[in-house]
Amino acid sequence: MVKIYTTPTCVYCKMAKDFFAKNNIKFEEHNVAEDDRAREEMIAKSHQLGVPVIDVDGEIVVGFNRPEIQRLLKI
Amino acid sequence: MLDLAIIGGGPAGVAAGVYAARKKIKTALITDAFGGQSVVSDEIQNFVGLKSVSGLALAQMMEWHLRAQEGIEIVFPDRAAKIEKTAAGFSVATESGKKIETLAVLWTAGSRRRELGGPGEAEFEGRGVAYCSTCDAPVFKGKAVAVVGGGNSGLEAAVDLFPYASRVYLVIRGEDPRGDPLTLEKIKANPNAEIIASAEILSISGDNFVSGLRYRDKKIGEEKELPVGGVFVEIGSVPNVNPVKELVEINAAGEIAVDHRTQKTSLEGIWAAGDATDVLYKQNNISMGDAVKAVLNVYDWLKRRQKS
Repeated sequence: MVKIYTTPTCVYCKMAKDFFAKNNIKFEEHNVAEDDRAREEMIAKSHQLGVPVIDVDGEIVVGFNRPEIQRLLKI
Repeated sequence: MLDLAIIGGGPAGVAAGVYAARKKIKTALITDAFGGQSVVSDEIQNFVGLKSVSGLALAQMMEWHLRAQEGIEIVFPDRAAKIEKTAAGFSVATESGKKIETLAVLWTAGSRRRELGGPGEAEFEGRGVAYCSTCDAPVFKGKAVAVVGGGNSGLEAAVDLFPYASRVYLVIRGEDPRGDPLTLEKIKANPNAEIIASAEILSISGDNFVSGLRYRDKKIGEEKELPVGGVFVEIGSVPNVNPVKELVEINAAGEIAVDHRTQKTSLEGIWAAGDATDVLYKQNNISMGDAVKAVLNVYDWLKRRQKS
């Protein structure tokens, strides 16, 4: 299960989503600009205030860290 | 042995790559990203030929244009770690461990954000200290936030925060912000915004997250603290010159000094273009033009070498 916490104007969020789409990875997106609960959840999980935050089966990646995401998704 | 190694994939690097490929110069381009610093820009309205384009879309178009060229080797994602003068030209060592031998180098590595450097900044990066307002402004919903820097990027960051932050302090060193009057008017008209002038930043403090920004009011010589949950640092940029700084002349601002007719640096065989150079105006359109100048000059130089 892949979750991504995003804001609408964050370019690294778009890059991450494009990357998932290109690699046929299904993901659930939470827009933290609108969804207060998702924002609190993101801060609690990542202990920081930047987007994107990507949750791969409970493993948390801050930012569009391509090598780390590839490692977690084994792609 | 290559003819040319281009270091960087921003507007200058990509423009250089396209021209070099079309001139059939044997070229490698080394970069860890495409599009340069404006990739985070929500909307670019001055890229000539496009009325409006997002930074990401522009970056993708640049990458596609470059990848459509035949005969250019794209070393991605990678960065130049060290450049050494050799008998024949230069040896470029990359961070991933590649070694590239080349006759000429075109340095287009741009610049990176300038940091405050004071106590608390590194410690609280991501935990209240932020550098990308278009990315992270919504995460600061309901919080008081300080933006440090009175140039255009500082003013724009303040405006990006208006829909979310409960209060925005624009903290500047001088007496008046230097940025565009149009953006400044928006800030002055917002009752939740306050400009704090003549401020010298002392430290950023907090516990798990940022809770305060300490500064000295230079006018009255008094130390003060702003109760903020975020500090956006927008104080300009620093040229990326490390791997070449021992080889070429660098000016007092840390930029590579170039001959503005040819983009040659002080060392034969190394050219530079874009924000890493002492070009007076840092602009996408200018970086591209300067890089084209550089490649055409490299081409002439290679031709002359073949003849002699």
